[in-house]
Amino acid sequence: MCAMVAERPAPIPAEAAPASAPVVSVDGLNHYYGEGVARNQVLFDNRIEIPPGQLVVMTGPSGAGKTTLLTLVGALRSVHEGRIAVLGRDLGRLPPHDLVAVRREIGFIFQMHNLFEALTAYENVKMAEQLGHEPPETGRRHCLELLERLGLGHRIDYKPRLLSGGERQRVAIARALVNHPRLVLADEPTAALDKDATRVVIELLKETTVAQQAAVIMVTHDYRIIECADRLVHMVDGRIVSDVVLHDALRICEFLRPIDLFRALTPNQLTHVAEKMTKRHFSSGETIIREGEAATEFFLISDGEVEVVRAENEVARLGRGDFFGEVALLSGELRNATIIAAEPLETFVLGKDDFQAAIEASPSFRDQLYRVYFQRH
Amino acid sequence: MSIATSLPGRAALHPVPLAWRNLTANKRRLLRSSGGIGFAVLLMLMQLGFERAFFDSSLMVIRGLDGDLFVQSAHKYQFATQDPFPAAELDAARQIPGVASARPFYADWFDMFWKNPADGKIFLIRAFAFDPDQPVFSFAQINAERGRLKSPDTVLVDRRGRPFLGMDRTAGQSQLNGVTVKIVGNFALGPDFMSDGTVVMSARTFADVLHGAAGNPPGIEAGVIKLAPGADPARVQAALKKTLPVGLSVMTKDQLIAFERKFQAEVSSAGPIFAIGTVVGFVVGMLISYQITYTDVADQLPQYATLKAIGYPTLFLLRVVLEQAALNGLAGWVPAWLASILLFRVIGELALLPMRMSLGITLLSLGLTLGMCLISAAIAVRRVVAADPAEVF
Repeated sequence: MCAMVAERPAPIPAEAAPASAPVVSVDGLNHYYGEGVARNQVLFDNRIEIPPGQLVVMTGPSGAGKTTLLTLVGALRSVHEGRIAVLGRDLGRLPPHDLVAVRREIGFIFQMHNLFEALTAYENVKMAEQLGHEPPETGRRHCLELLERLGLGHRIDYKPRLLSGGERQRVAIARALVNHPRLVLADEPTAALDKDATRVVIELLKETTVAQQAAVIMVTHDYRIIECADRLVHMVDGRIVSDVVLHDALRICEFLRPIDLFRALTPNQLTHVAEKMTKRHFSSGETIIREGEAATEFFLISDGEVEVVRAENEVARLGRGDFFGEVALLSGELRNATIIAAEPLETFVLGKDDFQAAIEASPSFRDQLYRVYFQRH
Repeated sequence: MSIATSLPGRAALHPVPLAWRNLTANKRRLLRSSGGIGFAVLLMLMQLGFERAFFDSSLMVIRGLDGDLFVQSAHKYQFATQDPFPAAELDAARQIPGVASARPFYADWFDMFWKNPADGKIFLIRAFAFDPDQPVFSFAQINAERGRLKSPDTVLVDRRGRPFLGMDRTAGQSQLNGVTVKIVGNFALGPDFMSDGTVVMSARTFADVLHGAAGNPPGIEAGVIKLAPGADPARVQAALKKTLPVGLSVMTKDQLIAFERKFQAEVSSAGPIFAIGTVVGFVVGMLISYQITYTDVADQLPQYATLKAIGYPTLFLLRVVLEQAALNGLAGWVPAWLASILLFRVIGELALLPMRMSLGITLLSLGLTLGMCLISAAIAVRRVVAADPAEVF
């Protein structure tokens, strides 16, 4: 379902940012509600960078700060502390009237469709379309194409009261996508949709990310969308507690699964370990760990080779799918070898605490590790 | 980086007619709102119509005097008040170059009692008089019948006078101040807010009728001056002012009308009463319009907030709300205006007042209607301005 991508018109070039630049960049973001003694912090030091072409799903319990973060990224609230850049523009530095212009480049899908009851489905979409820059005929055609695509071709002249809840929501989705936005912010966009309509909406959103290189940030608990997400961000109590690029997590799982050490882990445990690992690059000749240092991280080689050096002599070479750094973590001793990148290297790194937690979580994993440990000694 | 905040040109040229759609989406609601606003507009139109009828009726006599300049007592605060001066004063006016004629106009509003020939009841009326050889009116019917007035104790009666006066030519004769007069003709003038009817007679009959009442020969209320062809009214007016006694004023017809209008609008209680009536209609209309706009804005607040969120400037939303309010006003004004034409006609016939829809009343009522709707919308629209687009998430 997620692989179906139709050809779309070329995206509108961003005014200020190059196409490869992050669509959204959040750094050190704090946010508060209320004033004086009633002031209450709702976001805490959040950081996230979302490149073009990513469908990001935000999850978390009610009150976790998802919607607040979404409205801040959507230039609907003013930034209190920290920095938010959207499409290359620092929102905190823009005057209010320029924030309005930024919002025109964002597609908003609200949980409540908020369509004008006096306008037809087509006119509701056109209200957004006429903010764009397409020639009238192209814009009109695009409105109709979108409505057609969303299964509303026979209802373009219907007013909202004659449409079902799902149909109204699809009109709202067309309204959000009609101007080829480079960023789409959506709050439970498929909540009112049936299975088929959800499939069409997911296809459209995926198309938007692939063909238009747009970023989609979506608050949802719909597993049908989570399955298609490129990235899962989980928020709790105003903090991003988990930020997983699923493509990387899958790669990590693919690497980990054939290794004896991880074979005993259940899929859940494996995924959990993968989610905790972060990608890190090293250049050729760069020292990754040094003999005699305290151990803090476990490494899995994703791409490239390393030299294992003891007493200034190369004793081994490790490549794609190999791992290192576990011995000192298990024994609590200092590093017994120096590891140097033999060529440009991509690794996935697991911190000491997460490594220990994984061991504690799975006795079989711990046994495997100790077996490997004793084999190496 | 330059970021425009105004709408792109295309949106400005071919926008979805949101205000119109909002207005016409619910026909029943439109009917209710236009009915409410129309009621207030009708109130204003009636007040404006009465006010105009009041002014027009009080000015009909002045408008009907066939003169270029008018001489009257400088102590008068309105035309229809009594402060006569000797007819001989006009002799000096006749000597002024440029004056073709200076004719005496007699009038009485307070001492002339008419007996209804049918039932014998007596009513206060107004009476005008002139020398039949020196006509002062431009009313064709009076001028056509003025020869009959040369006979003593003859009068012309106002057939548009109030019915209870019994001013019917077929009656043949009646009594004025107890003097029997013969009805020799009629004309159509109509009552005003002071008088119920009018009789016109010769100066001689006027003296006869009033002689019994006052015992002295009457003075004249105005001198009606016609200019010779090519004479400069301003120069002749200045010369008359210099020549005539200080106690007399000289006015052109326009000045005399303005003098009378000023009294009615500012001094008499009638002008302010109608103005207040119009203001009451305006305020009622504002309240109705405010309620309509406020309810509509409240109902659609999430939609307006959504438009803000997707990039519409607040000014655009203000324009939509104000435009819708103005359209609402028009939707109420049109039926009220049409209804008022009918009502003017009915009331004019019943009250014998010159109730007529004029361009002035049309434009003024339209302006007041749009004003009341736009002011109330400007108050109600604060909710749209305050709408937080973040709240739609």
